[in-house]
Amino acid sequence: MSVDVVGQAWRTPLGDTVDTAVGRLLAGERAATDQLRFETRTYACRIGAPILSSPQRSKHSRFLRRMGLFGLEAAHEALQQARTRGCEVSGERLGIFCGYGGLRAHWDDMMEALSGQQPEQSGTWERGLKRIHPYWMLKHLSNNAHALLAADLSARGDGATYGGATAGSQALGAAIRALDAGSIDVALVFAYDSLLEPETLVDLAARGAATTAELARLAAPYDVQAGGFVPGEAAAALVLQRPGSGGALMSITAADGGDGRPSEPGSETLAAVAARVARADTVVDGAGRAVPGLDTEERTVLAGSLGEGARLTAVQAAFGQLGAATTLVQAIALGNCLGRGVLPGITGLREPAEGPLIPLRESQPTDARSALALSTGAPGLAAAVRIEITDAPALRGAP
Amino acid sequence: MSRAVITGCGIVSALGLGTRAFWNALSEGRAAVGPIRHFDASKLPTRVAGEVPVLETNGTWLREALGGHLSEVAIEAWEQSGALRDRKIGFGWVAALEAWRQAGCGDDGQDTWLSMALGLEQAFLEDFGPLLRKEGGRPSIDWAAESGAPLPRVRFRSRIDLCAEGLTSMLRLGGPVIPHVSACAAGTLAVAHAASLIERGAATRVLCGASDSMVNPLGLGGMSRLGAPSPRAEPDACRPFDRRRDGLVIGEGAAMFVVESEERALARGALPLARILGWGSTQDAYRATAPLPDGAMAKRAMQQALKRAGLSARDIGYVNAHGTGTPLNDPAEARAIREVLGHVPVSSIKGAVGHLMAASGAVELAACLLPFQRDCLPGTAHHRERDPECDIDVIGERPREAHVDTVLSNSFGFGGQNATIILGRWS
Repeated sequence: MSVDVVGQAWRTPLGDTVDTAVGRLLAGERAATDQLRFETRTYACRIGAPILSSPQRSKHSRFLRRMGLFGLEAAHEALQQARTRGCEVSGERLGIFCGYGGLRAHWDDMMEALSGQQPEQSGTWERGLKRIHPYWMLKHLSNNAHALLAADLSARGDGATYGGATAGSQALGAAIRALDAGSIDVALVFAYDSLLEPETLVDLAARGAATTAELARLAAPYDVQAGGFVPGEAAAALVLQRPGSGGALMSITAADGGDGRPSEPGSETLAAVAARVARADTVVDGAGRAVPGLDTEERTVLAGSLGEGARLTAVQAAFGQLGAATTLVQAIALGNCLGRGVLPGITGLREPAEGPLIPLRESQPTDARSALALSTGAPGLAAAVRIEITDAPALRGAP
Repeated sequence: MSRAVITGCGIVSALGLGTRAFWNALSEGRAAVGPIRHFDASKLPTRVAGEVPVLETNGTWLREALGGHLSEVAIEAWEQSGALRDRKIGFGWVAALEAWRQAGCGDDGQDTWLSMALGLEQAFLEDFGPLLRKEGGRPSIDWAAESGAPLPRVRFRSRIDLCAEGLTSMLRLGGPVIPHVSACAAGTLAVAHAASLIERGAATRVLCGASDSMVNPLGLGGMSRLGAPSPRAEPDACRPFDRRRDGLVIGEGAAMFVVESEERALARGALPLARILGWGSTQDAYRATAPLPDGAMAKRAMQQALKRAGLSARDIGYVNAHGTGTPLNDPAEARAIREVLGHVPVSSIKGAVGHLMAASGAVELAACLLPFQRDCLPGTAHHRERDPECDIDVIGERPREAHVDTVLSNSFGFGGQNATIILGRWS
């Protein structure tokens, strides 16, 4: 089922507003930096794509960490935009679906209570557990952003929180099913994730997924020199309605799947997930993993369904890999690029590797009105989303 | 539209390993909350729990339980990763293997999806050993980057990913993994999601359920600071719907189910344990730590489930309540049950096994199979004194004999996440 998008918002490494970040994407800017929030000199992966702003002051700060606060900001903004486009709903007919990628230990958050502990675990309470803040568990609760947003909006309809690398896509899929089933009239989908935590950078580099290159030598996905992706972070939100409800910016279809592999999914899985949403599309936003073998496999399977001449971009070359927020960011970025009649180039692509599809080295004009986007994650997870623009002037934004 | 049926069930709880131990204990009215034994909890504010009777934390029990499902090389790899000592990962694996076996599934998991919840606790005190050995300065993750030693990968991986990797490897599952993280409603939502996939034809078989364990110093310490557990360190500390209730008791365990389309199950000669008839999901939109006092949205979740199942209130023969034994939750839920379903038999098994957090909905759904298996409704351990604020037909400590065809289970999570699911007898 395809649904209408009537509101959108994000916080990304290229900017906090859609117009700003899409403008920078189309200008060929890349968010990668070696100036992160913490010292990375001793790390194998030393670069990332951080959000440069800080969350606004919020009454929810005692319950939410930084990325959750960004998630709430994006969700509120998306709903506000939806309201300006005639979407009026609250209460039991508004559902909230969340994708949360941060199911990690967050070691540094725990050091205050744990740095005095002994390996043999003697006297754990006296050595620090008694100093844990009463809200410590709530602050790390997976569905706290979902709960606080529901309370903010008096949203009492269907909803759930999904975790992991493709959680945003799973939240999107659940929202579409709920709209299809008629249990809600409007769905607010939001997702947030940061791969820029000390423990995540260490792990991604050890797995060979993240780049270990210096910033000056960073190669883009689909480049012959590609050597791993740039970890990033983002929060994004979409407001969805059933088709024909009015006020649509674009329509969207989503699918997710997997094959149970411990690391990245196989090419057959990517092909199967893409085939579930593709419909004669000639533009594809690739998963952009920047690992030559995986990039080639991906191009080959996509050529099988889209044709060898389909144009290939990779918004994650500019934004960084965004984990659970990826699908929503791809949808917003591509929808707005199509609305402007311009396809984004693959930022930093110098020498495309051999293979099918046409990797875009620079932004170029297009009359395409739809695009397919893919993303992947471990263990064996794949997600696809198809975007078709319905209101190009609104997506074009302010002049 | 395909109908979703449960063809396999596996359970790990304080009442023992396996469905037989679980159903035997429930039908005999036994409870298993007691002093924590697998580590020294004597100085913690919370010293009782629904502890699974497996005391080793070095994975020996799990190694034995997995015999035949993983090669020795694979077991050693998991041991190295540290996954074997994470109790919730082990419980999830053992429950899934039992469900898989009970369903009669063989080496054909390629088209099987995995929809599960796993407790979100990601770290253990013992993981800090290497960090604490850093000389001088504040212990930090930098040690791992600087040391040059082999990276202790488990310390950085999501536990739910590790659990899923083990299951897909053991059972050769080839479908997507859907991690549910909606707090204490997650287990119920994982099963509802599975049924939804079957009904819509998106999947033909889903291994689903939940596993959790917070029975460790960090989990109990954090919950104690939050103030949710009963202050009493006694085996009857959790008293659902009782006038003297004063808080929850933490439990641990897992329940996993094989859910598939009725057509496929019958075609391969499997005998379904139950039908999944309907489910509902709502949000309180109220507070992070307290339910909506009037139970309005819990009520709405039950109404949604009835509507989806095409049933009326009088069709429901038994309710397995969320029933945490906390002062606020029980009256709100009781009011919702009374207003939607009237005078229906209700019980909570949390007095017997504790509150299994993310896994609570799944294990309680397994308890909902007992009426179909043995014409027996589980009792409510430690419910002795009726509370006028909870004006419903609470089944007391002794189970009740009854033949019912339709049962309903509630799960309500932190943040006001409500989920209800309805099962029907298969015949």
